[in-house]
Amino acid sequence: MAWMLLLSLCASGQDASGAVYITDTTGFISSLPVNKEVLHSTIVGVGWANVLDTYLSPYNYKGTDIRIQRESQRMTTLWGGRVSNQVLIDVNAAFTKNHARNLKEYAGGIRYSQGWFYNFGKGNVVNPVERSRSRFNVAAGLAASAYLGGIYIDRNGNNPAQAKADLMIDVSAMATYDMVIARHHYLWRYQVSAPLLGIAFSPAYGQSYYEMFDLKHRDHNVCFGYIGNMPSMRHRLTLDIPIRRYTIRLGYVAQFNQSTFNHLKYHTYTHDFVLGFNKYLYRK
Amino acid sequence: MMKNILRLFVCCFVLLVFHACVKEDHYDNSKQGNYEALWRIMNEHYCFFDYKKEQLGVDWDEVHTRYASQVNEGMNNVQLFEVLCNMLAELQDGHVNLSAAFDFGRNWSFYEDYPENYNDSIAKLYLGHNYMIASGLKYVIFDDNIGYVRCETFEDGIGNGNVSSMLNVLSSCNGLIIDVRGNGGGQLTNAEKLASHFTNESILVGYVSHKTGKGRNDFSTPQAVYLDPATDGIRWQKPVVVLTNRAVYSAANDFVKCMKLCPNVTIMGDRTGGGSGMPFNSELPNGWTVRYSAVIFYDKDMQHTEFGIDPDVSLSLSGADILQKKDTYIEKARVFLSEK
Repeated sequence: MAWMLLLSLCASGQDASGAVYITDTTGFISSLPVNKEVLHSTIVGVGWANVLDTYLSPYNYKGTDIRIQRESQRMTTLWGGRVSNQVLIDVNAAFTKNHARNLKEYAGGIRYSQGWFYNFGKGNVVNPVERSRSRFNVAAGLAASAYLGGIYIDRNGNNPAQAKADLMIDVSAMATYDMVIARHHYLWRYQVSAPLLGIAFSPAYGQSYYEMFDLKHRDHNVCFGYIGNMPSMRHRLTLDIPIRRYTIRLGYVAQFNQSTFNHLKYHTYTHDFVLGFNKYLYRK
Repeated sequence: MMKNILRLFVCCFVLLVFHACVKEDHYDNSKQGNYEALWRIMNEHYCFFDYKKEQLGVDWDEVHTRYASQVNEGMNNVQLFEVLCNMLAELQDGHVNLSAAFDFGRNWSFYEDYPENYNDSIAKLYLGHNYMIASGLKYVIFDDNIGYVRCETFEDGIGNGNVSSMLNVLSSCNGLIIDVRGNGGGQLTNAEKLASHFTNESILVGYVSHKTGKGRNDFSTPQAVYLDPATDGIRWQKPVVVLTNRAVYSAANDFVKCMKLCPNVTIMGDRTGGGSGMPFNSELPNGWTVRYSAVIFYDKDMQHTEFGIDPDVSLSLSGADILQKKDTYIEKARVFLSEK
């Protein structure tokens, strides 16, 4: 906790412009309508990745992962103002090698998701420090997400790369805990998401991209995805630390994306330690 | 009650997700493990087992038994490589290779066991020094007003603009020789792009079928493949001769398959080398790379061209012509086109 206290010494409770600012962690104008405040956060991270795609290789490739996430959250007026909205853009790139360390594989992609969460009790997961009457808040809901990415392996042949794409309905839940130390608020956030059902792209077991894109031959390339053949989970645990009128965000992002379509096995496991900042802005 | 249901749902969800881990298959980086991995990769992905059994009597299960006894942990990597390559050579497939840092395992009997029927030094005399090059296609006009195009590979990108420009230069010729001898293939799209300038209508040139699962007989329903005429640029309307030898392989074999169905085209020379399977790559636990035929390309009659395509007119390079620094193939083609 010592480092948290040290960081808190920098925290400012007061805005120079006047009394409308709250004096503690997030520095937001609490008198404004709750659905007008938007939490923006950006985090970058680095960690490690484990990639398997049996269309390319029967073995795991392991290496470094880098990740950027851009998130915005706000409360809406839906369901008596109990529903919050989250937009999350998640980009990652992994640089990996095989067991023998003689072949490289590059994997990456971008996921865009837009989710709606019901905030339970009197909670508010968007700005729980200033808007919630509870230290512990929980919300759960559904998100529509779209992913576009690919994997490239640096050897020749007619299967040097694999495209990844899906459109999914995700089930997601998040929780926040407002930890107060020396009158300063440190906000823990945890979110877990998992694809529930949707559609995903996959070549057939031994189908070439030449057949798909040059000859326009299709063979079960749009697959129905559900938790049974896409048993995936995405976790994010962060800690918001207030420093003056800003808040830095530290955390850990773990993603376990998996699928088995057309007898092809795929997984990308990533663990990233992230650092970023967040800020509340007023939306007119 | 609702809370309990919710808890139960969450528990089931988490259990399902964590029980459903999608993992790599167990691998063993021992000599025996690499041998088994190679046999299994081929067993699950190779597309010509039935055909090779019919043509060569290759029984892949029997091959496993026979070669497994030759692998032991005391052997070095070079010895293991040799055993693995010998096992793969049973398939007599030029698209089946094993690559290590110190060697490239192959079976090139499709052309090494036959007369080459091509003399590079003599063929160069026909091109001279003032030939033109359009994206790898070397071409010249002979004195008898026959155009000659030397196509050594389909690795280089070929665009409609390249082909049309070349055909425009050659447009005054009475006929055209396309010499693909020694062309070991490249990109199918390049081969088809070139062939598309020699037809005015869409032609059924074959069928394609890929593996749909690990079983040796798991194949997709063959789907028709058409050669569509080039929509941009020039389409050649005069007689064409395509020169072939045993080293015409893979995409070049496909080119010959397409050209044989085009009007005004005569295939002259030796049977092609074949190679009708589209190769994919995989790897062994020790990092060696294996290439194998994964997708079958049939001809229009649903017949394999894995072991080559017969010419319309058979030719052999004559020893007497070689002594006179003449290429029998080119000379015969010139006479053939002049008489058309």
